Amino acid sequence: MAVEDVDGIYAHFGGSSAHLIKLHQCAHLASPPPFSIRIPSPSSMAGFLYALRRIYLSLYNWTVFIGWFQVLYFAVKALREGGPTTVYDAVEKPLQLAQTAAVLEILHGIVGLVRSPVSATLPQIGSRLFLVWGILWSIPETRTHVLVSSLVISWSITEIIRYSFFGMKEALGFAPSWLLWLRYSTFLLLYPTGITSEVGLIYVALPFIKASEKYCIRMPNKWNFTFDYFYASIIALAIYVPGMFLVLLIIQVNKDCLPNCFNHISSGSPHMYGYMLGQRKKALSKSKTA
Amino acid sequence: MRREISHPTSKCLGINATDGSSCPACDLLLASCLANFFSSSSHVCGHGRRQRRMKVTLVSRSGREVIKGGIELADEATVNDLQEAIHARIKKYYPSRQRLTLPFLAGSKGKPTVLIPKNKLADYCDGNTNNLTVVFKDLGVQVSYSTLFFWEYLGPLIIYPICYYFPVYKYFGYEGERVVYPVQTYALYYWCFHYFKRIMETFFIHRFSHATSPLSNVFRNCAYYWTFGTYIAYHVNHPLYTPVSDLQMKIGFTFGLICQISNLYCHLILRNLRSPSGNGGYQIPGGFLFNIVTCANYTTEIYQWLGFNIATQTIAGYVFLVVATLIMTNWALAKHRRLKKLFDGKEGRPRYPRRWVILPPFI
Repeated sequence: MAVEDVDGIYAHFGGSSAHLIKLHQCAHLASPPPFSIRIPSPSSMAGFLYALRRIYLSLYNWTVFIGWFQVLYFAVKALREGGPTTVYDAVEKPLQLAQTAAVLEILHGIVGLVRSPVSATLPQIGSRLFLVWGILWSIPETRTHVLVSSLVISWSITEIIRYSFFGMKEALGFAPSWLLWLRYSTFLLLYPTGITSEVGLIYVALPFIKASEKYCIRMPNKWNFTFDYFYASIIALAIYVPGMFLVLLIIQVNKDCLPNCFNHISSGSPHMYGYMLGQRKKALSKSKTA
Repeated sequence: MRREISHPTSKCLGINATDGSSCPACDLLLASCLANFFSSSSHVCGHGRRQRRMKVTLVSRSGREVIKGGIELADEATVNDLQEAIHARIKKYYPSRQRLTLPFLAGSKGKPTVLIPKNKLADYCDGNTNNLTVVFKDLGVQVSYSTLFFWEYLGPLIIYPICYYFPVYKYFGYEGERVVYPVQTYALYYWCFHYFKRIMETFFIHRFSHATSPLSNVFRNCAYYWTFGTYIAYHVNHPLYTPVSDLQMKIGFTFGLICQISNLYCHLILRNLRSPSGNGGYQIPGGFLFNIVTCANYTTEIYQWLGFNIATQTIAGYVFLVVATLIMTNWALAKHRRLKKLFDGKEGRPRYPRRWVILPPFI
């Protein structure tokens, strides 16, 4: 997963590396010490694990970056060649791969590889997977809708910026200020377009879900269980906006991961939008004064 | 001209004044006491002797002064007096809404010290100074725990019988007569007895360590209980409900009932641990299942839901059981930890015995 905070890892390796944490607080620092100097002096085992973690996370972030880059490339290509109705078929495979790979990020959070609140990332990734597998893959009638194009482009641009940001932080120890700027500025457009596309596609899918009776479990059965995909989707739709608000609340509680956590979110409620604006101001002015 | 003013914590005989000056000795009575004095050093308060002042600076967590100039109180004032003074100055901050702590030094371990109402302020001042800085936090609108519990339990108590007695399933497309199995009727009685018992316990048995809870909890808790109540009631009373065997039903309900009664007994034991003066202190629980499990009340609660689910067999019921177990386990771990920390065996305090937390043999 995209590493939430390179700094956080030092905490794993004992207090002697505490002084090094300060170095990495600001991503915009011009030239960090080269890789080898940054390994702190605790036991070599800890140093080895630290290096391993960094290599793994660099590989992860850059691999998924390539996946999303493919999505954007094929989407734009399809738009120009065949129009909006051909976009899904062109991006299906890399989209499914790149988005499903994000499940690993939940694992990273649980295992402690990265310092991010699972409670915030889970609903986010959940909603993404719901769209990719539950709507687009399960309900083929939605694939030719124009909202697919806006969805895919919003997501891919956001993810490209995000994964390259964390990929750079892991591999090089820093990320350039223009990338930081992109990260905090592109959401201004991509949040609204992203959430509109997601909500819109779910809404478009509803009549087809009802007609197909897909994923429905009916009573009577031994365990007296019912599941109606149609009503579940409606409930998902209903909690979308306040749900994003709730994620914001959870993130507020985990304040130390704040700026990083927001990048899980490609869609957001008006409230979160406003919050991100504030964060943006803070982050960009901070990098200016340093 | 002297005028005696009755005030809840009156220590001062109020004297008519026209210049709005303040009593330096018992600032506490400012809002309702008009004071004048012959000279600031010879002013005398109600109990007839000159008082030294205690000056309290009240700040918010961000450092801003909550009450400009602070509050002056009698030397012997308690935290409760401070709370009343704050309430007198800022009407909306009634005492149960205030959270007062000592300033927390960044970098030091643990949590800030919370000021306990019955303690004297002087106890919190170090050294001989009569100045104290207190950090104030507004806990938001508060409701009493009884109110909170009543509303959250009322939902299930009403919704479940509605699903049982009224033709609600017609609106979901299930027309026609509905066959009601015995297990569904017993489940109704069991469920309603459970929530009725809970409401009765709230009013007559429980003794709460805190008097109040934030208003937002009312919405949160009601959402939890009412949603799950509806979810379970819908499935158990469904026209296409499939009952389990008669034997399984009997085992489930009997076991559940035994656990409910045990749960009641646990609550009675817990009640007797706390004195009626309501200072909410902690004791080591003992007797009955408390000898083996710290939170035997949660244990019996979990098992009685298990009994209900064995008898009714719905996924909905089991989901509720799992979620409730997780929540209660969280509480139990915190309580167990707190008791172990409090009863550490040092300075004459008893040592907390080795016990299961909530669910032997797992945790």
